Parts: sequence; structure tokens; C-alpha cells
Amino acid sequence: MPRLKSATDLETRRQEILARRDPDKPCVTICSGTGCHAYGSEKVAQTFAAEINKNGLKEKVDIRRTGCHGYCERGTIVLIFPQEICYLRVKPEDVAEIIETTLTKGEVVERLLYEGEDAQRIIHEGDIPFYKHQSRIVFGPNRFIDPKSIDDYIARGGYAALAKVLSGMTPEAVLAEVKKANLRGRGGGGFPAGMKWETTRNAPGEPKYVIVNADEGDPGAYMDRSLLEGNPHSVLEGLTIGAYAIGASQGFVYVRQEYPLAVENLNAALEQARDYGLLGENILGSGFDFDVMVHRGAGAFVSGESSALMTAIEGRVGEPRPKYIRTAVSGIWGKPSNLNNVETWATVPLIIDKGADWFSSIGTKGSKGTKIFSLVGKVNNTGLVEVPMGMTLREIIYDIGGGIPQGRKFKAVQTGGPSGGVIPESLIDTPVDFDELTKVGSMMGSGGMIVMDEDNCMVDVARYFLNFLSEESCGQCVPCREGIYQMLKILNRICAGQGRSGDIELLEEIAEVVRDASLCALGATAPNPVLSTIKYFRDEYKAHVEEKRCPAGVCKELISYYIDPEKCQACLLCLRNCPVEAITGGKNLIHVIDQDKCTKCSACFEVCPTRFGAVVKLSGVPVPEPVSTGTEVKRKRGGKSE
Amino acid sequence: MAKRKTKSTFIGLKVTSEQAETLAQLQKALNSPTKTAVLLRGLELLASSSLPPTPPAQPTPRAAPQIATSLELSQIEAEARHYLNALAQTRNRSEEVMKQMVQELAKVDQTVDKYHGDRNYLIQILLDIQRENRWLPRDALIWISQKLDIPLSQIYHIATFYKAFSLVPQGRHSVSVCTGTACHVRGAPRLLEKVTDTLKIRPGETSSDLRFSLSTVNCLGCCALGPVMVVDEEYHSNPAIEEMEKIFSACE
Repeated sequence: MPRLKSATDLETRRQEILARRDPDKPCVTICSGTGCHAYGSEKVAQTFAAEINKNGLKEKVDIRRTGCHGYCERGTIVLIFPQEICYLRVKPEDVAEIIETTLTKGEVVERLLYEGEDAQRIIHEGDIPFYKHQSRIVFGPNRFIDPKSIDDYIARGGYAALAKVLSGMTPEAVLAEVKKANLRGRGGGGFPAGMKWETTRNAPGEPKYVIVNADEGDPGAYMDRSLLEGNPHSVLEGLTIGAYAIGASQGFVYVRQEYPLAVENLNAALEQARDYGLLGENILGSGFDFDVMVHRGAGAFVSGESSALMTAIEGRVGEPRPKYIRTAVSGIWGKPSNLNNVETWATVPLIIDKGADWFSSIGTKGSKGTKIFSLVGKVNNTGLVEVPMGMTLREIIYDIGGGIPQGRKFKAVQTGGPSGGVIPESLIDTPVDFDELTKVGSMMGSGGMIVMDEDNCMVDVARYFLNFLSEESCGQCVPCREGIYQMLKILNRICAGQGRSGDIELLEEIAEVVRDASLCALGATAPNPVLSTIKYFRDEYKAHVEEKRCPAGVCKELISYYIDPEKCQACLLCLRNCPVEAITGGKNLIHVIDQDKCTKCSACFEVCPTRFGAVVKLSGVPVPEPVSTGTEVKRKRGGKSE
Repeated sequence: MAKRKTKSTFIGLKVTSEQAETLAQLQKALNSPTKTAVLLRGLELLASSSLPPTPPAQPTPRAAPQIATSLELSQIEAEARHYLNALAQTRNRSEEVMKQMVQELAKVDQTVDKYHGDRNYLIQILLDIQRENRWLPRDALIWISQKLDIPLSQIYHIATFYKAFSLVPQGRHSVSVCTGTACHVRGAPRLLEKVTDTLKIRPGETSSDLRFSLSTVNCLGCCALGPVMVVDEEYHSNPAIEEMEKIFSACE
């Protein structure tokens, strides 16, 4: 690759690449992010390559493996350009048909298209409701770029922002632009990035460092992974621009080791950038030196906290320190270090390219731009969505997410990961905005958005998060180490039916101490899931404590499985599937669960045919006396349900 | 007369007083200070002696000690030959063990050199070793401690803090169940129960035949497939017990 020695070199190179590409040439794009990979996208891609070869189309059709497209519920996603035909749930068996029908004959394979509400088939990606309501300014390019090809990135205008910066802007000008755009950190804190950059720049000490926080520890959140896997150059470009503005000469990317594809693609991107002279010494002939080291995490949630992360980069145990002195002033090896999230860095080139005014025209007063969320849980369209700040939760969950599956009722949406809280139905019109979400007792967090329905127990959710945090706590300070553990003990008791009066108040009291006295944000925000679930679902807690009842039917020790003798049709399904042989009965004889043997595994509940619905979960009421053995089934006549 | 055995200061074994005297005389006769020489000489004499070892007659206390093949001496000889054999075997085996260790440590060296022996990259080095061996062998940790001049306790501090490291050998096949929030609300605890019952080990444990290691992970980022079980990098969405059994029996 020719070394680019100036901004003009880059532009020339871009033109060269574009000249070699025919925008009308058909291109089969296969989503190869980790999500689709789990669906078998690699086999799909290989089958395409083989079939295209076989049909003699090798020179006529391009194949491109890209990063995540976002519609993870319907993987493997295949996009055919230039028409942007979107095929969903593609399997290797479908490939031959696609080649014959679409690539050769120019027609669509109906059954692989998205089916709308009125059974209408939608051809173009942009018309699918899931995508239509999004604003994919950061994430969208994923579908056009092969992450292992820097040329793809350059062809789409990549590194033009860096060229603009290095060939005419002073560091102060860059700083001013980022401040004007009011870019707030996308990692959870929402701190104004421009201000952080300025603090680092003005802090005394050399050398200065810039860091990408790609630890992404929140369970349920994988936006950063998909960005790093799918478009690593966008992050690198932003990082280089930031380094220039701050005056840093060394950058680090701290990636969790659970993201092997992200590490791989990142390393490949760094190599290619160095080859082009877009990284290293004298970038684009500007005299600016900057290089990046990749540092893998080793499996500790707390090491994603900024001061802990910097300690981990130093090769020590990644434990946080009290932030009397900001890391921007004293970070890695005591030097000024600026840490930002992956998404924050990836947004920087856009701001430089299109201007701060353009950026601040999107979003709300306090929160500018867009945010990528991982919309997961009890929602129809699971995946990664990018929306402008200010869109309401209702729009995201229903318009984009397609609502709750199987006709169940929405109960709450959890945002902010273990540091966040739940938002109930009454507040579902809250706009996504840093301050609005904090006002209702949750927070934006890194972008995890977990939808829950009536079959999820809020007390269990609180317990889940505390369990997670108690394991991840580094143990340095008492409020976090002991406080979280004690709260967990109380919740375990409550879920086991041993709640005592005063427990809820005790939880609130401990929560206050943990929140106010913990050393770092892990402890300080740990009470949020508990406090917000108590705030909005206090009745559910009370039912657990006072009535020993779990309304959602989740907490094992509070529920019993019971076969309604009026409904049982003696089909023998549950009997055969019970792993502990707790069900007695036979053909035409009502099935009865022996409560002493039952392990509450829920197998009977899951296999009982929906049209019978004979297995029910009882909670808070005594189980009715079993009918005597040998009672015959009441047959429903004519198949009509009563 | 009962033979009184005293510990000979010469060879450190319990011998009768006659034998002790014999040995002392041998030592003097040979003018040799080393025990080995004396013992070897004694063995030589035994070997060259045509007389078969005879059980001792009732020893007369004042009889002049003979350099004879007494039972005790032949017993000492037998013991000596046994230990010589065992020592030779151990030396051989330990050579094999040594060879293996040297090979492993050579690989550790390669890893350390990859990071230019920079102690700031300790975590990266340990990650590479963990991936290579599926655990962190103690000898590797000691070696790194020496090479990078980091106290072993600090290395253990890091090895026990981070979840990626294991201080015991892991199974050949890794089974992970995602217990992230999205999978949790979709029923991951139940899936974990099924897996635990099928594999007969709990999360964090390894099967005794080193075939499987079960662990929980927090978010693989395939929430659309939730609840997810991963076996050796193959993802499975909410597998039923029969499917699970098929998958596990295919793993050697």
C-alpha cells in the first residue's frame, strides 16, 4: 500500500479506489458480526462464494462480509446491492435460490423478505419498520464496510476528517468544535467529552494518553463490540483526532478478551492504518506522531471503570481509586489520560466532517446526537438500534422493537445495566435523554435496554443485579463489599419466602449508605436497581414479604405447579417430561403433581399444549387437595373450549 | 547372645557392633576417608567372594570380626542395589518431566519475548499462556516471576482477581451458559439447571476426566438467541435436554 504523505494523497487514493469500483455492480453483503456468526453466517458466506464460482459469476458479483447490521433477531442478514434488497434469516440452503432468482433473473425471493403487518413483503432495507425509524449515522456504515478492508472505509470518505484536522485545524480549533457539538460520553457517565479533552490538554505532564474504553461489561449490551468489529477505523480515526486535539502521542484500546473478533479486526485495522501512514510517525505528513496499543481485558467488570482500567493498562490489578484527582489530570503512570467510550470516539469524525452545528441539530437540548441501544429481552425485534436522542421509549420498544412477543403485557424496561433502574409502563413516554432518564430513577448507561414483561419478577431482577455486582465488586471499600452482600442476603430471603416485615425499609436504609459512601461508581450506583424496583413495584415486594406470593410466578420457593383437573386432558405429555417422575396419572386419568417431589423445573408447564393450558403456577395460595387417583378426565365435547 | 544394634557413625545404618568394627577396620585398611569407597570395596569383596552368604552362627563376642558375608551386610547390599535402581529410574523419569517442563517454559519465554519482556504487559502475557494451556501452570508463573522480576504474590494477585485465569487445569471442552440480563429474563437460570444436571458438574467446576468445564458468562452479545449455551465456540439457542446430550456426547 502506498504511504499517504498528505491530505491530497489521501484524496487521490480515494479517487483511485472509487475509480476501480462500479457502484452498479451487484454485491452480496453478508452480515458477519458475532451475532450472525452464531447463526452460521460464515457457512452462508462460503456457500455464496462457492455457488457464485460455480455459476461463472465470479467477475460479475462481489461478495462482502461486513460487521453487524443490527437486526440480530433475523440473522443471517444478506443485503444485495445496488438495489438494497434485504433478505432475512438466510440459511446456506437458500443461497442457490438467491443466486438464481435475484442475481441471475433480477427478481426477489419473497419468502426471505420481511413480512409486514398486512402480509406485505418489504424489499428494501430502508423500508423495514425496524430500520425506518432509526437514525443510523454512526452504526449505518457497518453494512457497507468489510472491517478487514481499510479501502472500504476510505472509499466512503473515511479519514477525510482526520485529513481536514491535520491539514488546517489547530488543536484548539478541534477542541472548540467538539465542545460546541456538546458531545456527551456514550459510556454511561454522559460527561461532556470536550470538557474532558480540555482538562487533559491543560493538565501538566508529558506524555499524555488517550484511551478507548471497549470493556463493555454491562450484561445485555453489545453495541461497542459491533462497532469495533464492524467499523474499527471509525474509532481509530476519532481517537487520532482526539489525540491531536489533546496533545497525546500514545493511545490504548482496552478491549475485553471475551471479544476475540473485535480484537482481531482491530489489530488488522491498526496494521493497515500504519501501512498507509495514517498511524505512526508523521501522519499524513503533518509532523504529528501517534500510535495505538491494544490491551486485552481479563474478565473483570470493575476494570471497566476509568481509573481501574488505567491501572489494568499499567499491568496491575484493575481496581478503582477514589477520584479526588481526575484521571484526566493523573491517569496512566500518573500522566494526564483522556478516556472515552468506543461510541464517543466513533462519533468524533462525523462532528469534524459535518460540523458541530449539524450534530447539535439532532437530539434534545441536553443530549445531542444519536445513541446506539441494544434492545433485548422480551421484545420482538431484538437487536442494535440507533436513534436520535429524544425519541421516546415507547417508540423504540413498539415502533422499532415490534412490541412484546406472544401477546404478553409490557411490565418495565431496564436501562443502564447494573447501574441503572427500571422504568414502568406509566413512564414509557420518557424520551431517551441523559437527564430525563436520570430523573425517573434510571440512567442512560452504556445503552443496554432490556424489556421485561408480566412474566418477569422485579424482585428477582433486583436480586439478579445485586448478585452480579457482589461477584464483581473489587472489595476495597466496606459499603460496596459488605453493603451489596447484605442487601443480596435480604433479597435472597425474600425470594425464598422468608421475608420479614421491615425488610424493604432495611433495604432502603442500606442502599443509602452504599450509594453515598462507596469508593467508586460500581458501589455508588449499585442500589439503583433495588431502589427503582422498590419505587415502582413496591406492591410486588410487599406481596413477596407479607403474602409470600410472587405475582409473576418466578421465585421458585413461592410457586407451586398445579394441574387443573377441569382442564387436564390426560395427554401424558407432562408425565413423560417430568425429570423427577412427580406426576401420576395415565390415559384418560387426570394427571396429578406430587408437590413433595416437584422440583419446580417448569417442564410440565412448558409442554402442556396451549389449547389445554392445564398446568398453572400458583403462588400465595395453598395448593388444592389432589383429586383421588384414578379420576377420569372430563372430556370436552366437539373441541369447543368452555 | 542378643545382637545389639547401634547406629554406625560410619554408614548411618543400624549395624551390629561386629559389623561396625569390621567397617572401621576396612576404613583403616583402605586408608580411604570416603564412605563410598569403603562400601564399594566391601561390595567388591562380597561379589568376588566365592562363599555364598551364610547365616551367621552364634557370634562369639570376643571372636575377631571377619570380613565375611553376614546376613546384615548382604541386606545392606540389597538395599543399596535397590536404591541405586530406583535412583536410576527417577533420574530417567525426571528427565522426561524435565524435558516437558523445559518445552513449556520455552513457550512461556516466547510469549514474554513477544511483549519485549515488559512487565507492564503481565496481564497480556498471562492471557496468552491461559489460552495456550487452558490454565496457568504454577511453574510457568514462577518462571515469569523470575524473568520479569515481579514477586510471585503479585502475579497470584492478578491471576486470582481476573476471571479469565484458571489456576487448575480446565477441561478439553468448554461449556458456557450466558447469564447476562437479556438471557436471564428469557430463562437462563432454567437452562443452567438443565446443563448442570446433564453434565453433572456445577458452574466453575471441571469434570473429573478433564472432559468438560462448565462456566457462566455475562453476555455474549447474541441476545436474540437467548438463552444461549456455547460449547467450544458453537452457539446453541435454548437447547432441549436431548439436543444437549447429543452435543455433549459428540465431544471427546
